[in-house]
Amino acid sequence: MSDPKMKFLVVDDFSTMRRIVRNLLKELGFTNVDEAEDGAVALQKLNSAPFDFVVTDWNMPNMDGLTLLQTIRQTPHLRHLPVLMVTAEAKKENIIAAAQAGASGYIVKPFTAATMSEKLEKIFEKMGKKATA
Amino acid sequence: MSDFAGMEDLLQDFLIEAGDLLSGVDNKLVDLERSPDDRGLLNEIFRGFHTIKGGAGFLNATELVTLCHLTENLFDNLRNGELAVTPEIMDVILAATATVRDMFASLEQGMQPTAADPDLIARLRQAIAGELVAGSAEEIPAPAAPAAAASQAAAGRAPDWELLHGVVTGVARVVQPVREAGPVAAVVAAAPTCPPEEVIKAAVGRRATDKPGSQVSTGRREGEKQRDNSIRVDTTRLDQVLNLSGEIGLTKNRLTALRSDILSGRNDNETLHSLDIAVSQLDLLVSDLQNAVMKTRMQPIGRLFQKYPRIARDLARSMGKDVELVLAGEETEIDKTMIEDLADPIIHLIRNAVDHGVEDAAGRIASGKPEKSIVRLEARQEGDHIVILVADDGRGMNAERLRAKAVEKGLITDEESNSMDERQSFNLVFLPGFSMAAQVSDVSGRGVGMDVVRTNIQKLNGNIEIQSQLGKGTTFVISLPLTLAILPVLLVRLGDQPFAVPLSMVREILPIEAKEVQEVGGRATMVVRGEVLPIMPLAGLLGWPLERAPYYGVLMQTAEMSFILGIDSFAGREDAVIKSLDDFRPKGVAGVTTLSNGQIVLILDMKELLGSAGDQRWLSRMTMMAKQVATA
Repeated sequence: MSDPKMKFLVVDDFSTMRRIVRNLLKELGFTNVDEAEDGAVALQKLNSAPFDFVVTDWNMPNMDGLTLLQTIRQTPHLRHLPVLMVTAEAKKENIIAAAQAGASGYIVKPFTAATMSEKLEKIFEKMGKKATA
Repeated sequence: MSDFAGMEDLLQDFLIEAGDLLSGVDNKLVDLERSPDDRGLLNEIFRGFHTIKGGAGFLNATELVTLCHLTENLFDNLRNGELAVTPEIMDVILAATATVRDMFASLEQGMQPTAADPDLIARLRQAIAGELVAGSAEEIPAPAAPAAAASQAAAGRAPDWELLHGVVTGVARVVQPVREAGPVAAVVAAAPTCPPEEVIKAAVGRRATDKPGSQVSTGRREGEKQRDNSIRVDTTRLDQVLNLSGEIGLTKNRLTALRSDILSGRNDNETLHSLDIAVSQLDLLVSDLQNAVMKTRMQPIGRLFQKYPRIARDLARSMGKDVELVLAGEETEIDKTMIEDLADPIIHLIRNAVDHGVEDAAGRIASGKPEKSIVRLEARQEGDHIVILVADDGRGMNAERLRAKAVEKGLITDEESNSMDERQSFNLVFLPGFSMAAQVSDVSGRGVGMDVVRTNIQKLNGNIEIQSQLGKGTTFVISLPLTLAILPVLLVRLGDQPFAVPLSMVREILPIEAKEVQEVGGRATMVVRGEVLPIMPLAGLLGWPLERAPYYGVLMQTAEMSFILGIDSFAGREDAVIKSLDDFRPKGVAGVTTLSNGQIVLILDMKELLGSAGDQRWLSRMTMMAKQVATA
């Protein structure tokens, strides 16, 4: 199900981190990646061009990742977008908050390409099920 | 050797970006001291540490992650209102920030940082738990503390908890202003105190291995060079470069087509007109491209300025003064290499202002000034120059005392002292060996004196001046060219051979009339507006045979002296693009440039030329010849 042409949006205010995620995605064969430096910019991009997958940081200025996620879930044409939350926080309440807001996955920094691939696979699997259901 | 094989790119990116973040955090911490309840600030600082932690995780820098994690937790509690910012917590935070900077320094050298001081970690944990935090045993200063604490401190790691308890509860908040220093307050106020040298070192992030002294620079430079190699450029600027080079490519195609037209015999008006248009277009595009490329090297000076409020604060605190460093013009852009080379001189000037410039609280009150002194660090562009000001509102400089001091030190003679005006007197502080009474040395960790400050500024083709008013304050004015790549020069000729001298040193051009040349102490001199100036024929400086007296003189001014450079004629001024002669560099030649007609011109390094003129036999010959001309 993982189509290498899938278009990813990587959202993080720390450009080094965006590069890390972009490189990991490249390792996994996904080269169609765009970046945004916070939730507000991400929403703009999501609204102006079609994306297939969002990988977002939690803690950002202007609009944080959780708000971005909530907004995506409330926007009819974005609602079905898979959103993978990336954060340095492994606290239980954060994970619960993300799950409640409708995150497709949650990944704690630092992580390797293997971890990321695993998370992505899981998300694709779920999506596939949904699609066939 | 490196702990980061295969991750160098990532490491460099991280260091640059995280370094900026940390500088931002530093500044916000200074603001936080003033408004400890500002949620927005707390939030931003929290995010700073959080982001650094995230990046550090990918570099496997576990110690950095641990430290950032703890600091972040502390800020989490602070922003949630579970804890309030107290001076003690502030000190722990500042210590943590300094340690993060140290860790960056070891990362910069390709080494994993070692664990933070366990004492710091313990204090962080205490702070997070909301337990009382006070300076660690070692940091309780014996002289200021009451006898009980002093003996405890001496006894080792057993602080008098009861006393400390008294200090940090209730009392602490009341006595936070240093002035009210009772015996108890002294403990609080003095706890974070450490020598100013340490303060600066910690703040600038110099490595622990750096020792003060001249040999330091090599080690540090190497580390820095690694970092120098990358630069962050706004994508719009890069796009502009790309766009322009594309345009140039198109124009080149047009020219190639025109060339084949002309070669095949078409030289009608229309073709020539197109050629004219294409060439002027290329002209425009190339100069635009040069500008655009230069702009990619330009960085806002704010990136440098950011470091200083924290340094100034720590310094002032360690000296028991209340100083606010006010920044202005941070958006002013300046060549990246210059930013790096300015870091040390500006630190020195700021230290100078905090240390010698501003009075202590008592002195300020006595002279009717507000207790808090303001030191202004300002940058702005003036024409094709960047001007940087370091201004204090302190006691000002006393020209008379400066002169007396210089005479006492044997740097100038009595007569010289008597003939000096105010400006010249101020400039005495730039003489090597001149130091004000209290100034022991070495604050920036490498023995930089004011003379080194000036030398460094001059290396950048800039100059530094002092304006001062007794009782009102002192301002150091640094003026720098926009870029080092292009040097405005004056083209002079010796016979047919052109040479270029830096225009920044040229004051005026005058004809040398034989009858005005006088011999003073075996030297040819000329009186210009009452000032006796030596004439140095360029031929003599270059070691060429001196065949006739020069026709023209260029009045040149260097830091040390003014003199008249004797030459044959002029070819005008030009903006030279300097090509350095890396391996083959004759003495006195700074580089070469190419003129519009394709001729290659040597750019002279006047300072070196003057220095090499040890053999000055030509001086007397020059005089002799001048006399001959006069009698002829």
